[in-house]
Amino acid sequence: MKILKTFITLFLFMSFSQLHSNETNNILKNKILKNIRCLICQGQSVYDSESDFASSIKLIVDRKINEGLKEEYVYEFLREKYGDWIVYDPQLNKKTYILWLLPLLLFLFGGAIIYKKVIINKNNKT
Amino acid sequence: MLSVLLCGVSIKDFNRSSKQINQNVLSLSLLQLVFVIVSFLSLVLSFVNSDFSNETVFNNSHTTKPLFYKISGTWGNHEGSLLLWLLVLTLFIFLFLIKSKTQPKKYRILTLLFQQIIIIGFFLFILMTSNPFNYLFPIPNEGLGLNPILQDPALAIHPPILYLGYVGTSIIFSSSLAAVTQNYVSKEWGQHIKKWVLVSWIFLSLGIMLGSIWAYYELGWGGFWFWDPVENVSLMPWLALTALLHCIVVLERRAALKSWVIILSITTFTLSMCGTFLVRSGILNSVHTFANDPARGIFILIFLFVLIVLSLGIFFIFHKENNKNLNNFFWLSRETSILINNWFMMYFLSVVLIGTVYPIFLDVISSEKISVGPPFYHKLIAPFLIPFLLFMSVGPRLKWVKSKVENKYSLILTFVVSVTLAFFIIKNLTADILFYTVLVSAAFFLFFTTLRELFIQKLNNTSQAIAHLGFSLLILSILFNSILSSEIITNMKVGEKYNYSKGEIFFKKIEERKESNFNSITAYFEVKDLKGRMVELKPEIRIYNQPIIVTSEADIKTTLLEDKFIVMNLVKGNEYFNIRYQVKPFMVWIWISVLLLSLGGAMGLFKTRT
Repeated sequence: MKILKTFITLFLFMSFSQLHSNETNNILKNKILKNIRCLICQGQSVYDSESDFASSIKLIVDRKINEGLKEEYVYEFLREKYGDWIVYDPQLNKKTYILWLLPLLLFLFGGAIIYKKVIINKNNKT
Repeated sequence: MLSVLLCGVSIKDFNRSSKQINQNVLSLSLLQLVFVIVSFLSLVLSFVNSDFSNETVFNNSHTTKPLFYKISGTWGNHEGSLLLWLLVLTLFIFLFLIKSKTQPKKYRILTLLFQQIIIIGFFLFILMTSNPFNYLFPIPNEGLGLNPILQDPALAIHPPILYLGYVGTSIIFSSSLAAVTQNYVSKEWGQHIKKWVLVSWIFLSLGIMLGSIWAYYELGWGGFWFWDPVENVSLMPWLALTALLHCIVVLERRAALKSWVIILSITTFTLSMCGTFLVRSGILNSVHTFANDPARGIFILIFLFVLIVLSLGIFFIFHKENNKNLNNFFWLSRETSILINNWFMMYFLSVVLIGTVYPIFLDVISSEKISVGPPFYHKLIAPFLIPFLLFMSVGPRLKWVKSKVENKYSLILTFVVSVTLAFFIIKNLTADILFYTVLVSAAFFLFFTTLRELFIQKLNNTSQAIAHLGFSLLILSILFNSILSSEIITNMKVGEKYNYSKGEIFFKKIEERKESNFNSITAYFEVKDLKGRMVELKPEIRIYNQPIIVTSEADIKTTLLEDKFIVMNLVKGNEYFNIRYQVKPFMVWIWISVLLLSLGGAMGLFKTRT
C-alpha cells in the first residue's frame, strides 16, 4: 500500500512536472515563432500567420524544441535553411555592424554635443 | 472633374504672382480650397453612387457595401488618400492665413509660397501618376470591392486623423523656412508656431493610436504594435515632432536653440514625406501595404529630394548664427533637461530610422536580405528608457536658466517607494527580475512624481504634467501587458471543453448568417476562470464576397483590469477550429494613456490661446 502511495505521488509529481515543462516549452515556442518571419506572407510572423508555410515551420520548431534544442540553435537551424531573412533578430556580424552600432554612436555623439554646450558655459562662468 | 484639378493648378500659379496683395491671396487660397473640396466631394459622391465609370471607384468599391464604407473607401485607396492629403494641405494653409494675421506680412506670404510648392508637387503627383478621376469605358457593372480588413470603423477615421498630423508638419516646415529667410526665428515665432506643432502632434498621436487599435482587434493576433515598417514610419515623425515640441518651448522662453528648431522642423516634415514614399512605393514588406506602384515611388523620391535640397539650401544661405553666448546653458536647468529629452528622442528616432531603412539599403547594395524586427528594437530601446524616464521625472521640476534640486527628500522617498513597489510586483512574475524591476521602478517614479506635481504642488503647467502622466502610464501598461499576457492556442470542435491551468474553455455552438457583403460563421464560447466566473465570447469568421477573402473577427471583452481576447480560424478539411484565447492585462490603459497624452497636448493648446 505504501509503495502504491509513493508510486502515485511520484506519478502525480512526474505528470505535474511534465505538464510544467510542457507549459514552459509552449512559452518558448511562442516566443520563437514570434521572431520568425513567414516568408510567403506580407510582413507577418509565423506566429501570426495561418498559411501552409507557417504551419510547417510551426511543426519544425515544435520538433526542434522537443529534441531539446536551445532557442539560439533553432534560429541557427532556420537561418541555414532559409537565410537571414527569416529571423527578425539580426545577428551582429560584418553586415550589420552599422545597423547595431550606428544608433549607439549617434547617442554618444549627441551626448558629446550636450556635454560641450554645458561645460563651455561652466568655464565661462568660473 | 479633371478640369477642376487643372483649374486648381492654374489658380496656384496665379497665386504666386499676386503675392503683393494680401486680400487677394486670402481669397485665392480660399478658392483653391473650395476647388479641392469640390473635387474631393465629387469623388466621395461617385463612391456613394457606385459610379463605376470612375476607375478608382471600380477598383475599390462594390454595390453591396454599406454606405459608411463606401464613403470611407474614398480614402481607403491610393488615389483618394492623396486627394485627401491635398485637401488637408490646402485647408491648413488657409487656416494658417486666417490665424496668423498678427504676424509679419512677408513671413506669411513666404510661408504660403513654400506651402504652395508642396501643394503643386502633390497636384503634379496626382495628375501624373494617380489621377482619381480616370474614366473607364465600357462602364463595368460591378466594382472589385474594398479589402475587407479595411472595412472597419477605426480604420475609416484613422487616415484622415493621421493625415491631419502629417500635413500639419508641412505648415511647420513652410513657416520655419519662411522664418529663416526673414530672420524671424524668435520668441514670437516660437509662440506662434507652437500651436501648429501641438495640433499636428495631437492628431499624429491619435492617428497612430487608432491604427494601433485597429491592428489590435482586426488583424486578429492580439498584438498592438509590431515594429512593422509602416508603423515605424508613422512613429518617426512623431518622435521628431515630440522633440520639436519640447525645444520650441526653449525657443519661446529663452530664444535659444534656433538652428536646432529649424533642423527639427525640416526633419519632421521630411520624415512624413519619406513615410508616404516608403508606404506608397512598395519597397517595404509590411502588413499595411495595400496599394503600390514603383512609378509613384520614384516621383515622390524626386519630389522629396528637391524639397530637402531646397530647404537645406535656404537654411544654409539665410541662417546666421548670432548671439552665440546666449546659447549656453547651466548644467542644472530646464533647458538642459529639454536638451536631454531631445538627445534621447533623437536616439530613439535613429534606432527606428536605421532599423527600418538599413535592410532596404543592404538589399540594394549587396542583395542580401535581413529582417529587423521586434527583438532589435527592444534591445536597443528598452535599456535607454530607464535613464530617459528618470530624467523625465526630474526635468520638469527644474527652473529655467539656473536651478537647484528642491525637495530632495520627497524625491528620494518617491524613488524608494517606486523601487520597492516595482520589486514586489515583479518578483513573482518573470525570470528577468533585475531588468524589469529597474525599468518598472523608473516608470513608477515618473508616474508618482508627475502625479504629485498634478495634485499636491499645483504647478501652473497642468498640460505638461498630464501629458507626462499619460506617458508614464503608457510605459507601465505596455510593460505589464507584455509581462502578464497569457495565451492558449488549441484546436477545438463544437461541444468540446478545454481545460488549462487557469480555467476552462467551452465551445458551445456555431451559427451562420448572411450579410449583404459577407457570410459569417459566429462561434459561441464560454470561458470560466478558477473562481467560476464566466464570460461568453463570440468570435466570427467572415467570408467576404467582393473580393473573396476570409477574415477572422476577434471578440474582446474589455474590463479596466484586462482584456479577454478570442479569435478563431478555419482548419482546412475538418470540423476543428483553431482557437487562440488570450488574456491581456491593462490593455485598455494603453489607449487611455495615449488619450491622456493628447489631452495634455490639447490643454497646452488651449492655454496658449488664452
